Amino acid sequence: MSGLVLKGISKSFGGTRAVEQVNLIFAEGQLTALLGPSGCGKTTLLRMIAGLEAPSSGALLLGARNITDLPAHRRKFGMVFQNFALFPHLSVRENVAYSLSISGVGRSEAAERANRLLDLVQLSAFGDRRIGALSGGQRQRVAIARALAQEPEVFLLDEPMSALDAKLREEMQVELRLLQQRLGITTVVVTHDQREAMTMADSIVVMSNGRVEQVGSPQDIYHRPENAFVADFIGKANFFDGVTEAGGIRIGATHLSAKPNFVNGSPVRVAIRPERACLDDDPGENRMPAKVTFVRDLGPVREYHLETALGPMVVEYALGEGGKTLVIGDQTEVRLPPEALHVFPDPQAAVAAE
Amino acid sequence: MRILGPLYMAFCAVLLALPIAVVCGAALNGGRSMFFPPRDPTLARFGEFFVSEPVWTQALLNSVVVAVGAATLAVLLAWPVAYLLWSTGSKLSRTLAALGSMPFAVPPIVFGVGLGFFWGFLGGLGTIWAGVVSHAVLLMALPLVTISIGLQSIDRSHLDAAATMGATESVTFRTVILPQTIPYTISGFFFVLVLSFNEFIVMFFVSASGFATVTLQIFNSLRNGYTPTMAVAAITFIGVSVLVFSAVARWGDLPRLMGADQSRN
Amino acid sequence: MTAVERIAADTADRPARERLTPRRILPWLLSAVIGVLCVVPFLLVIAISFGRKIEGAAWVWDFTLENYERFFVGALWPDEVTFLYLQQLGFSFWYAVVASLLAVMTALPFTLLLTGLSRRAQAAWLAFILSSLSLSEVFIVMGWDILLSNNSGLPALFKSTGLTQWLKDVGWFQTLRDWGLASPRNVKFKTSQFATILTMSYLVWPYAVILLFPALSRLDRSQSEAARTMGAGGWTVARTVILPAIRLPLFGSTLLLFVFLLGTYVAVTVFAAPAQHTTAVAIYTNIRGANLNAPFGATQAVILLISAGVCLGLGHRLNRWAEAR
Repeated sequence: MSGLVLKGISKSFGGTRAVEQVNLIFAEGQLTALLGPSGCGKTTLLRMIAGLEAPSSGALLLGARNITDLPAHRRKFGMVFQNFALFPHLSVRENVAYSLSISGVGRSEAAERANRLLDLVQLSAFGDRRIGALSGGQRQRVAIARALAQEPEVFLLDEPMSALDAKLREEMQVELRLLQQRLGITTVVVTHDQREAMTMADSIVVMSNGRVEQVGSPQDIYHRPENAFVADFIGKANFFDGVTEAGGIRIGATHLSAKPNFVNGSPVRVAIRPERACLDDDPGENRMPAKVTFVRDLGPVREYHLETALGPMVVEYALGEGGKTLVIGDQTEVRLPPEALHVFPDPQAAVAAE
Repeated sequence: MRILGPLYMAFCAVLLALPIAVVCGAALNGGRSMFFPPRDPTLARFGEFFVSEPVWTQALLNSVVVAVGAATLAVLLAWPVAYLLWSTGSKLSRTLAALGSMPFAVPPIVFGVGLGFFWGFLGGLGTIWAGVVSHAVLLMALPLVTISIGLQSIDRSHLDAAATMGATESVTFRTVILPQTIPYTISGFFFVLVLSFNEFIVMFFVSASGFATVTLQIFNSLRNGYTPTMAVAAITFIGVSVLVFSAVARWGDLPRLMGADQSRN
Repeated sequence: MTAVERIAADTADRPARERLTPRRILPWLLSAVIGVLCVVPFLLVIAISFGRKIEGAAWVWDFTLENYERFFVGALWPDEVTFLYLQQLGFSFWYAVVASLLAVMTALPFTLLLTGLSRRAQAAWLAFILSSLSLSEVFIVMGWDILLSNNSGLPALFKSTGLTQWLKDVGWFQTLRDWGLASPRNVKFKTSQFATILTMSYLVWPYAVILLFPALSRLDRSQSEAARTMGAGGWTVARTVILPAIRLPLFGSTLLLFVFLLGTYVAVTVFAAPAQHTTAVAIYTNIRGANLNAPFGATQAVILLISAGVCLGLGHRLNRWAEAR
């Protein structure tokens, strides 16, 4: 068996296209995060993987097996729902043993396996409790144990942390990642939180408007965004619109040295991460005068908001990184290292050209 | 399941509409007796019902008077109870709401018998105003429920906001509470209107043959066998019900009034 | 008036206002009105049930248990015991139980399907259901009467389409005759328990939908989906997730419909054989009809009221229990 493959999956509800032509490979034993803003189609995609929604076109393969037409209860991919969807009329142990008892596993064996799973999520003392008597974090562990009880080939989680408070969320992310690595189970997590995705995932799928924007490791996605949407959605970035010319890009009256792979005269969008721009005296390319308009000290980082010939931009310095100490109104110079510039085709111009 | 579901719903709808359709068809009969399918179809019976037969026109008038009067009175009775319940939630208000809903909750024949005695002692038996009051009390539970749902939908922070802007309690009531609950009040009014129009057993005891509404007139004629004119009456009533509830569905939030979950759509 | 003046004026007439604000009068006025209109009629029924009938005249106030005695063991007790009135109550219960169960069982899948539709479609269906719900008992009985009567409607249809002949050929006609649903010549639905129960069930079917609707529309769909991802097929989901979640509202609704049906009058007089009439019919006969025995009618009404009260109380408690969980 070798992971889960989506081939040209599309889904429309009435006239609206929720998911368009998605091709993806979920490698066996890896954790993949579907990341995107709300309404980007990531939950619909997950529900199609679970079999709760039928794709309008395309195919799903599990290893060599085509499972496109297999209903949810035959796929038996364990799924953790956003609100956990635990059964209030059953105890914690009965919830975990649900998939076993309906498939005819004997009562004592089911209870024993449920106990082992409760052990795994550190809830062994809670087997006889009612769901209503559990806290949010405990409910989530029960939901995870319940989805794992059937030993699924694929493990699905729909925004699993959204019902938890911020502190608990970070703990659970680490815990879930460790559990997943221990079990080596192919896992898909839907999230809108990039920190969550970067904490847990081997591979991140960035989606917007029903399309896949980029697939890659967390580092790839952050350091080598493939388009302006990804650069904007993941982390922070300063954006400038310009036109390519010999040896760089013209933005307004300013020339920036860079190595864009575009024909001269193409409209482009330039991005630079705030921590990659420098406020130093090093000689180098792309230096320009700047005026400090606002300073924000957040403790671990300090942000300088600048007004430059290119437009407003933000520069970030981490604690202990040095750099000058500036105040509002100071005149200084900012340097944009050419290797830190990401150049994308201008999305607006691309739309206009279509 | 995908085909079976709609099929079952359609089956239910057909069965639900079947006797109604039969009555409608029977109204077109030309002769004096009911046949289905109708023989010698004509619309003359409609003329009899609405214009020429005094027995039926008087009954129709009585029905309208009772229904409109009862609906108005029921809303007027239910409003203060619902408001008291919502604003204080006191034991008294809860008792009042429970007592006000009681006539609707028990078998109507029992309340009918009780009202028969009640008006007998007060001397109102067989008068139309006794009919109006009886129906208002019987059906008060409906506006009580709809108005309560309306009041519950008011965000209490709106009231605080109004208070911080200098509104007194009566001004808040007029400018915030009343406008937001008007759709629910109107729904309650129409629920009473339609149910009063169709109610039979309580009116049967209260009227004591002193006057007849359309439903009573139909029941009285039952023993002499059906006539197509009765079917016309039935059509009229069905028409009014469909019209009223379609209006409520169109302008009010019917699923919410019926207790659907708010968070979904 | 300036603000300061207004405050001063307010303070000045506060003692006077405390005595006679609408806020203070309203609850008492309401209590009086509701007490008189909603409670007194029931008290009258109870009081008169202890009254005594005078031969050839009306009745007088009294405190006698004769009427209750007559209801349970007959007027000639202890010389002779008859259970005629208990039997009538038995028919009331029998029709009401079967009809309410039938209505709830058929309305449940319908309502479940209804809650899966879009909000607009739901509103349209609800308008249709409510129109049918508000339809007078008199009209419904009229419609079914035309449909079921012996020389028109279904029996005529059976005969003309040859269905009667076919039933005779396969031998099921005899079974129908054994059940009292056929005369020697053709199928016959009037009078029969079948027709009575069918009409009564029809009468409350829209109520069943309306009563089940809130509970079913609040059902958490993700629970059914979770069960499906764990290997549960359609029936397993219904059995292990949906039914346990709505068990109590289901029972509560059945009880309410049952209580409502206890008082059915028109359907029983038209469709049930005289020997199988119910307490509701007897109440009418005693109070407005031929017997003119108001105290005994009141007694029967009280017994119906107590039966209804017990069931309502039980249903109410169950519903609250369900909400608390």
